[in-house]
Amino acid sequence: MAIVKTENTPARAAPLTERSIIGWMSKNLFSSVFNSILTIVTLYVIYITVKDLWVWGIGDAVWIAETRRECFTISIDGACWAGVIAWFDNIFYGRYPREELWRINLGAILLFIWMAPLWLPRVKAKVFIAVTTVFLYPFLAGYLFAGGDKGIFMQVMITAAIVCLVANTLHSIIGVSNGTSLPGLVLRLLGKNNAPEKSQRIILFSILLVCFIVVYLWQMSWSAQGVSWTKWGGLFLTFVIAGVGIASALPGGIVLALGRRSKLPVIRVLSTAFIELFRSVPLITVLFMATTMFPLFMPEGFILNKLTQVIIAVCLFNACYMAETVRAGLQAIPRGQFEGAHTIGLGYWGTMGLVVMPQALKHMIPNIVGTFIGLLKDTTLVSIIGLFDILGMLRSVSRDTPWIGLHKEPLIFGAILFFLICFAMSKYSRHLEVKLSTGHKK
Amino acid sequence: MTDTDKQEKQNAGEQLASAISSEVMIDLKQVNKWYGSFHVLKDIDLIVHKGERIVVCGPSGSGKSTLIRCINHLEEHQTGSIVVDGITLDKNLKNIDHIRTEVGMVFQNFNLFPHLSILENLTLGPIWVRKMPKADAHAIAMEYLERVKIPEQADKFPGQLSGGQQQRVAIARSLCMDPKIMLFDEPTSALDPEMIKEVLDVMVELADTGMTMIVVTHEMGFAETIADRVIFMDQGDIVEENEPNGFFNHPEHERTRLFLSQIL
Repeated sequence: MAIVKTENTPARAAPLTERSIIGWMSKNLFSSVFNSILTIVTLYVIYITVKDLWVWGIGDAVWIAETRRECFTISIDGACWAGVIAWFDNIFYGRYPREELWRINLGAILLFIWMAPLWLPRVKAKVFIAVTTVFLYPFLAGYLFAGGDKGIFMQVMITAAIVCLVANTLHSIIGVSNGTSLPGLVLRLLGKNNAPEKSQRIILFSILLVCFIVVYLWQMSWSAQGVSWTKWGGLFLTFVIAGVGIASALPGGIVLALGRRSKLPVIRVLSTAFIELFRSVPLITVLFMATTMFPLFMPEGFILNKLTQVIIAVCLFNACYMAETVRAGLQAIPRGQFEGAHTIGLGYWGTMGLVVMPQALKHMIPNIVGTFIGLLKDTTLVSIIGLFDILGMLRSVSRDTPWIGLHKEPLIFGAILFFLICFAMSKYSRHLEVKLSTGHKK
Repeated sequence: MTDTDKQEKQNAGEQLASAISSEVMIDLKQVNKWYGSFHVLKDIDLIVHKGERIVVCGPSGSGKSTLIRCINHLEEHQTGSIVVDGITLDKNLKNIDHIRTEVGMVFQNFNLFPHLSILENLTLGPIWVRKMPKADAHAIAMEYLERVKIPEQADKFPGQLSGGQQQRVAIARSLCMDPKIMLFDEPTSALDPEMIKEVLDVMVELADTGMTMIVVTHEMGFAETIADRVIFMDQGDIVEENEPNGFFNHPEHERTRLFLSQIL
């Protein structure tokens, strides 16, 4: 007998266990006697741990005091946060001259202004903004932090950075307000928006040149007071080292990874040797090598300061780690993608830059951010070779006469800081992954 | 292969050539290829004239995909010569890149770029290789999307399209480069049966415009309707080559007969 269904079965709501909190709890926490006991025991353990921590860190803690002794007289069992608070400036800025702190803050604000357009949906040419952040911002910020005499090279780079920053910002404001771009608006104001592409380009280029010259002349009129790198320290120094490391690790890693996959044997062997050498040595060894051995190999009179040596070491070390991450990402791209790109006539760089890398980088986001987080935490090793980064500063608290012996609180404060920064990075990478996964998963 | 076989083949080829165009688009002479020690292509001779539509069939592993992949240098041949549109394929990268802009290719697995929208997939080549202004590239892309009948999908991503739609996008992507020759490497093999027809329809339309085409396929109905010549390959040899009527109705070679009896 044939069976024919005459009506469609209507969709019904899911049972209560699937959608209420109680349903969820009975399914996940109290599904059996054993599970219920486990849940209760775990909750109890969490309770006693958190309770003691709370009493020590918040409940009985001392927030305002002049010395550690005073902390003890107020509360013997509580944490002495007053010491950490008194050292705030040192922890964040090191021994940077107090009246010049605005320069560090300005550097941070400029970075924020520079990168903010990357998060605004209507802004175009984000790649350009990102690339200028990596290649121009460091010069501007570097001079802002270090000050002193500007060489010709620095003057040119600072000018380029300022022009780019202003152009990027204007471009983003225009983009957000009416969805066009800075070049588009300039051309429209000049009434040249229908001119042929070549003459448009010439106009834009000459405007850019004029801006460049004006800014160049302007920047000659001021200079910042020099601050020796020995005064840099605290979270600021950590960010400088990690920031340069992060900004250079990805480009360096991409170059090394492409080198390792190159068809040219010399490039391949050199890249492979370089990567393997740095990856098989601990970072602390590389740091010691950079600060003690490196100067021995250099010609006489060629002196790099310790901070520069450390930064170079961190960059090379992390570029090598990044190279392996990038290589893994490249290997995950099916051969068909290369072939598809070849058949529409794209050469090596076109294939890599337009088709393979964008996909590979997307796959690699978790690993890249993982490396970045590792890099940020690893920079604390520089305190061993005598730089006062955040860890160095946190440990100095206990050697300061009023707070002598105060170890726990600064370190816990540092741990919280690191956790917040790293957790934010990790969360952001998750967000990026979801946002960029267009078309991969249906 | 006996001498009379060769003679007949040549005669057939000449007759067809006169019917199509005397301009030679692809000229393969004594092409050999090895994968390691495995001999995939054995002394392949093949001349394709302008406007000619050739279907290549044969059992798997017979070297038919390798043959057409050699034509745009996705695979490198070791001996013999391949001349495409007057350009000799050699180690010169410029020649290879030039030939690739003249030869479109459609793959079994589409090979669309999943991180780009359909429109961006289509305009990538024109903008970056042909250096075309964006607006023109968009116009051309939309024109070809109309021709493959999916203009409404322009802003979607490849992952959101059905297999048949993706393959039509892949065909449009190749056509956007305005190629002189189109190569199809089993374009319908990865598709659900109900989607094969929509892709074949597009290919038939393309054949009607006079495009030079080499199609590796097992769709014998398609071969019968559009092919000027059918080539049967087995174990790296071109075993038989004939116009479709003769090929399907009076196969000469024993292996051809065996193959046809298995798939028809």
